[in-house]
Amino acid sequence: MDRKSVMKRRLQSIVIIFVSMAIFIVIWWALSIYFDLNYFPPPDVVFEAFFDSFVTPDPNLGITMGQNIEASFARFLEGFALAFVIAIPLGLLMGFMPWVDTFAKPIVELIRPIPPIAWVPFFFVAFGSFWNPVLTVFIGVFFPLLTNVVLGVKSVDPSLLDAARTQGAGRLTLFTKVIMPFSVPYLMTGVTIGMGVGWMCIVAAEWIAAVGGGVGYYILVQQQVGNYPYMFAGMIVIAILGLLTVTLSGYAEKMIRKRMGML
Amino acid sequence: MILTIENLIKSFPKKEGVMVAIQDFNLEVKEGEFVCILGPSGCGKTTLLRIIAGLESITSGKLLLKDKPIIGPGSDRGMVFQEFALFPWRSVRKNVEFGLEIKKVPPTERAAISERFIELVGLKGFENYHPNQLSGGMKQRVGIARALANDPALLLMDEPFGALDAQTRNLMQKELLRIWLETQKTVIFITHSVDEACYLADRIVVMTSRPGTIKEIFNVTIPRPRDRASVEFAQLRKTILAELEREVVSAPIARDNSEANV
Repeated sequence: MDRKSVMKRRLQSIVIIFVSMAIFIVIWWALSIYFDLNYFPPPDVVFEAFFDSFVTPDPNLGITMGQNIEASFARFLEGFALAFVIAIPLGLLMGFMPWVDTFAKPIVELIRPIPPIAWVPFFFVAFGSFWNPVLTVFIGVFFPLLTNVVLGVKSVDPSLLDAARTQGAGRLTLFTKVIMPFSVPYLMTGVTIGMGVGWMCIVAAEWIAAVGGGVGYYILVQQQVGNYPYMFAGMIVIAILGLLTVTLSGYAEKMIRKRMGML
Repeated sequence: MILTIENLIKSFPKKEGVMVAIQDFNLEVKEGEFVCILGPSGCGKTTLLRIIAGLESITSGKLLLKDKPIIGPGSDRGMVFQEFALFPWRSVRKNVEFGLEIKKVPPTERAAISERFIELVGLKGFENYHPNQLSGGMKQRVGIARALANDPALLLMDEPFGALDAQTRNLMQKELLRIWLETQKTVIFITHSVDEACYLADRIVVMTSRPGTIKEIFNVTIPRPRDRASVEFAQLRKTILAELEREVVSAPIARDNSEANV
């Protein structure tokens, strides 16, 4: 395809996206006017609340939306970091050493089906309001990371291992110079999936309790005081954060694959 | 002798009994020799090469490299793979330097060695390219440079040009002979192409179908560069083809005898 038709195709997509967004807002508007419910405000009221929430500190929480995002984002990152530190080494070992896989698999498979949200009450009782959201994110992100790292290690082309061995590589070198680099793009796929799951977890965990605010907690509080436009504003914030992080991570994944020549 | 193979047997366990892949294989390879091992597919020639590389064990027999038994893979035997087996995340230079990194050769020396071999295989200017930016022929040039960078006693090549188109293949054969003359390496080259073997080898070892063993060895005395259109070349090719054809025809019978169907 030449440059001109690429540009044309891109322009077309942008137009279609605008039309789709416009239709979405019109339907929202129509429904909200038709039902005329105070807990289902029209888009203009919500957007106004959205922008105001960043400027005016919330009377119930005493902080602005920016500070709430900061609080949630910090927990998100802490949970992610924890999952990283545990899932990557475990995944590498499970992929590389069959006995570790056999040993860890039953435990992993038993815990995996439990939705991260189901852990929230336990985490709150056991670890308190600081660790609860962090651990919930950890649980949500841990499994996609682990699965993809294990998949990465198991997908290593056997001829690459043969090639490395004929070059004098021992077991440790095979691991550090072939298996680990090979798994990086797979790990990135896990990160992108984890980004999506992480935001669901943070909102659910903050509903029980959150010291120092948080977007999930904010949504709940606005509902309780009947401040519905601001409740929707919180939902929009979560949507934007999720979209942003998943898109960024997807882009990073693509870049890494390209740089590593593993498209 | 640089390589001595005596009464080598390789068998794989099967559900019932064993499958003999290689039987009573005897071969001596002289330093600097270019040996082609030719045989029908499934005759165990790749297994034989993997055994010499140390990637597979032997069931019984003797396998000596410079009078020392081969017990595992090592950088004294460089291998070139049919599917290239280059590390996709490493540049051409980094691929060539892989073995040197493992041996902890200092970076400046490493760079000098890789530069020399990259130039030898004709890839000067492509040092920083990644394998997915290269054509099949260029990829295999990297494969050859990587194998040679360790200064191996043996260069093992497993149908290295099998994945290339006919023209690239002929060019690469010419290039390989040039590289072989320059480096004076001993080469063991696996192929199922009679033409390729006739063009390259000092000696052609024709193998039987499974269980694989030596059917006949041809000494090729045609001076290089060999002309494919010459009478001697055609004669040699015809003789070997006839030999091989009989082998392929008898394959089902041999297979029944050895109960091999893997």
